[in-house]
Amino acid sequence: MLKFLDHLEEWLVASLIGAATLIIFLSVLHRYASGLPIPVVQDWLLTINMSWTQELCIYMFIWMAKFGAAYGVRTGIHVGVDVFINSLLEKTRAKFVVIGLSGGALFTAIVGTLGFTFVWEVGMRYAVATAFGFNWPDLTSGPVSPDLEWPVWIFYLAIPLGSYLMCFRFLQVIRKFIRTGRLPQTDTSHVDGLADDFNFGDTPAAPAGIQGGKP
Amino acid sequence: EPIVIKFSHVVAVDTPKGQAAEYFKKLAEERTNGAVKIEVYPNSQLYKDKEEMEALQIGSVQMLAPSLAKFAPLGVKEFEVFDLPFIFDGYDDLHKVTLGPVGKKLLNKLEVKGILGLAYWDNGFKVMSANKPLKTPADFKGLKMRIQSSKILDAQMRVLGAIPQVMAFSEVYQALQTGVVDGTENPPSNLYTQKMFEVQKYVTVSNHGFLGYAVIVNKKFWEKIPVEIRTQLEGAMADATVFANSIAKQKNQEDLASVKASGKSEMIVLSEQERKVWKDVLVKVHTDMADRIGADLIQEVYQAIGVKK
Amino acid sequence: MSALIIFMLLACLMLTGMPISISLGLTVLTFLFTMTTVPIESVAMKLFTGIEKFEIMAIPFFILAGNFLTHGGVAKRMIRFASALVGHFTGGLALAGIVACGLFAAVSGSSPATVVAIGSILLPAMVKRGYPMKFGVGVIGTSGSLGILIPPSIVMVIYAVSTNASIGKLFIAGIIPGALLMFLLMLVTWLVAKKRNYPRLPRASFAIVVQTFRESIWGLLLIVVVIGGIYSGMFTPTEAAAMSAVYAFVVSVFIYRDMTLKDVPRTLLSSANMSSMILYIITNAVLFSFLLTSEQVPQQLTAWITGMGLGKIGFLIMVNLLLLAAGNFMEPSSILLITAPLLFPMAMHLGIDEIHLGVLMTVNMEIGMITPPVGLNLYVASGISHLGLTETTKACAPWIFVMLLYLILITYVPAISLWLPNLLF
Ligand code: NA
Ligand code: NA
Repeated sequence: MLKFLDHLEEWLVASLIGAATLIIFLSVLHRYASGLPIPVVQDWLLTINMSWTQELCIYMFIWMAKFGAAYGVRTGIHVGVDVFINSLLEKTRAKFVVIGLSGGALFTAIVGTLGFTFVWEVGMRYAVATAFGFNWPDLTSGPVSPDLEWPVWIFYLAIPLGSYLMCFRFLQVIRKFIRTGRLPQTDTSHVDGLADDFNFGDTPAAPAGIQGGKP
Repeated sequence: EPIVIKFSHVVAVDTPKGQAAEYFKKLAEERTNGAVKIEVYPNSQLYKDKEEMEALQIGSVQMLAPSLAKFAPLGVKEFEVFDLPFIFDGYDDLHKVTLGPVGKKLLNKLEVKGILGLAYWDNGFKVMSANKPLKTPADFKGLKMRIQSSKILDAQMRVLGAIPQVMAFSEVYQALQTGVVDGTENPPSNLYTQKMFEVQKYVTVSNHGFLGYAVIVNKKFWEKIPVEIRTQLEGAMADATVFANSIAKQKNQEDLASVKASGKSEMIVLSEQERKVWKDVLVKVHTDMADRIGADLIQEVYQAIGVKK
Repeated sequence: MSALIIFMLLACLMLTGMPISISLGLTVLTFLFTMTTVPIESVAMKLFTGIEKFEIMAIPFFILAGNFLTHGGVAKRMIRFASALVGHFTGGLALAGIVACGLFAAVSGSSPATVVAIGSILLPAMVKRGYPMKFGVGVIGTSGSLGILIPPSIVMVIYAVSTNASIGKLFIAGIIPGALLMFLLMLVTWLVAKKRNYPRLPRASFAIVVQTFRESIWGLLLIVVVIGGIYSGMFTPTEAAAMSAVYAFVVSVFIYRDMTLKDVPRTLLSSANMSSMILYIITNAVLFSFLLTSEQVPQQLTAWITGMGLGKIGFLIMVNLLLLAAGNFMEPSSILLITAPLLFPMAMHLGIDEIHLGVLMTVNMEIGMITPPVGLNLYVASGISHLGLTETTKACAPWIFVMLLYLILITYVPAISLWLPNLLF
């Protein structure tokens, strides 16, 4: 079950960044092709409406950012100023690490709740009431996005969903840290598949009387 | 404790809208003897273009003056009638609507969204600009034209055979300069103050469409204000509106003259006949968009300005 | 008063080692819950709308492009070309490293990425040819910082987004300062190499130069896609970033084939991870500057600085000191997002050009990346070299000194930054 959630999260953020790139690529191609005075083709291209691409790209990236931030907790990519706490004794340091992580859990929990209230007010309440035939007072439909004309509350859902997931990830990391004393880390300095012997078309010169560093 | 009204807008203080907001602040605070305090936040200081409507609905600000194109995404598509090309033939036509019963009726439609409309403020009539002369509708074929997000403006550019390109206002200057887009439409005040005329070779004074704003308030908040104070505020708003419209008109005239005087772009003034050719092509947007906006409403506007169709 | 409370609170939270984004967010929440009347729901809205801007989306696109370039064999070919060009001078491989960093910087928007791409290949090769590891780390760790000065640059995108300056103009403005810094670093490296008698590569024949150039041409063409694309009006900066991601994908997978289609999902995921982290800091920083604005802090600060009678020169000294200090403890995007909205109005008040300020801040961020204790380039360089952080820092010290002198030059000679953009725009 948790594995499934992990995969879903990874799959979602990777597809969003890939798809957004593709969409902008296509819209730029379309814009250029439509400007070329080729008979028939130009008229056909002009009938295709690509005005919604920027908006969709922005919304896809916001979704990627919110769920990616949760994934980032799991991979330990959110950086903090750890100079001060690293100079402390191991036991005190551990306390600060837990405080820091709890701060994350607290913030994301609050934001998730605020976000849900907001989404509820700007259209979800109306959508739920209409869907299930509830007769609630003061029902007003929320705004729609200008270009796609989809209800904005659906887009805004990224805040509560992403924040609650992020909160859950912080709690997971806290639990693991207390149990094992380890924090997740991302190694950004690693490049796969580099050939060991990089060939400059020369034979390695002998060290010219200098000490070599550690390999 | 005075009643605090946060009035947020997205343009600079020295624009007509910015000045009108300051003028309203002055009148309102004087006439209520300080019972009301208006805090004006210009330049999107607190809320940006995309945020201010939601901010008003949840009560983070109390007063806004968004452009009329912002009401369609809110769910009141009727306001798109103002975006229709060639629907008004000048300020007289326009004011028959904005200062008359049709305008009032439109503002009332905002109530179900928790919003009250107090007044319409003009910006002005738009001109077209590009790096090639735009004399006839055929000149638009294949041109990339920047528009602000609006289904009507999108349709307008498509009817002309151009490729509409939605783009944030802040990006337009550079996009025109480098040629990402070929042209755009603006009231003269934007064309001049944003220096867009420097990077456009031709400006066609087409006056094909209108750009304006509505001053709106949060309904719950407004109805809690004591009646006598509210009346004073409404009076101040009426006077501020007269002021807003007159400086907007004057500013647009001055700025058009400045663009012409600069010599950086050639001014094309359409003859009656040329303008009619544009109009004949573009009124197609009225029928195409009748389903969205409401055919009845379009008829009402026609009648209010005295056009028989 | 409220400014003091806000910054104290932020400092306390950051000292606990909490992620910077979370510290910013919690500061805002604490303040809003306890001290103001701003409806708290606007916080949730700002977390969405804070990044609802097409310009910002250049960041994930540039990160994605950079990842394809790093793992797709572009860096390797640039190093070969650079060695063919300058390898025959004393300390040739080190000089080639600087040139390769400059070339890679011209296609990638990030400094640590530049260090990784060039360093992972070049450092082992340098050690094998008898250079001390420390020397190699110093050269590559420092030259990697060119990544954010030579366009494209993620840091410049962030500056542009928080001040509404033109991204295209900033990019163009980075070209001459970038080339100048590259030249200075090469000069110093050459002098050191001369003194210590470091090895040189055999002079490459003209045929080899041409051959290596042709091999790296696909990577180098990306410069044309980005800078040419923006300047000629093919694309907006964000579109150029997206195009460069697609282009880098095609080059890595179909032309150089150092990467297979199977590697693509992993590249997408790691790019999304990095981008989300930056976008998360941006949203929280936007929230933070919303709090500052609604408490009128920028206005108060501007009034205070103006009241002190600080002129242009004094103000710029202050900016540099502030940014250098911040650069020791925070990473560039957070520093920029917090300080730019505060410094920008003051700079405008004093008549400093926004593009000049942008280049100046970028150079400060470059130095911040190679100064301890927090410096992304140092971390990455120490990761590649397996040297400790202290040793890595010591290794970079001579070049850090060069960069400080260079910073003074950039600060007080605005023409270096402004001449080209003013000529072109
Ligand atoms: Na770069
Ligand atoms: Na640092």
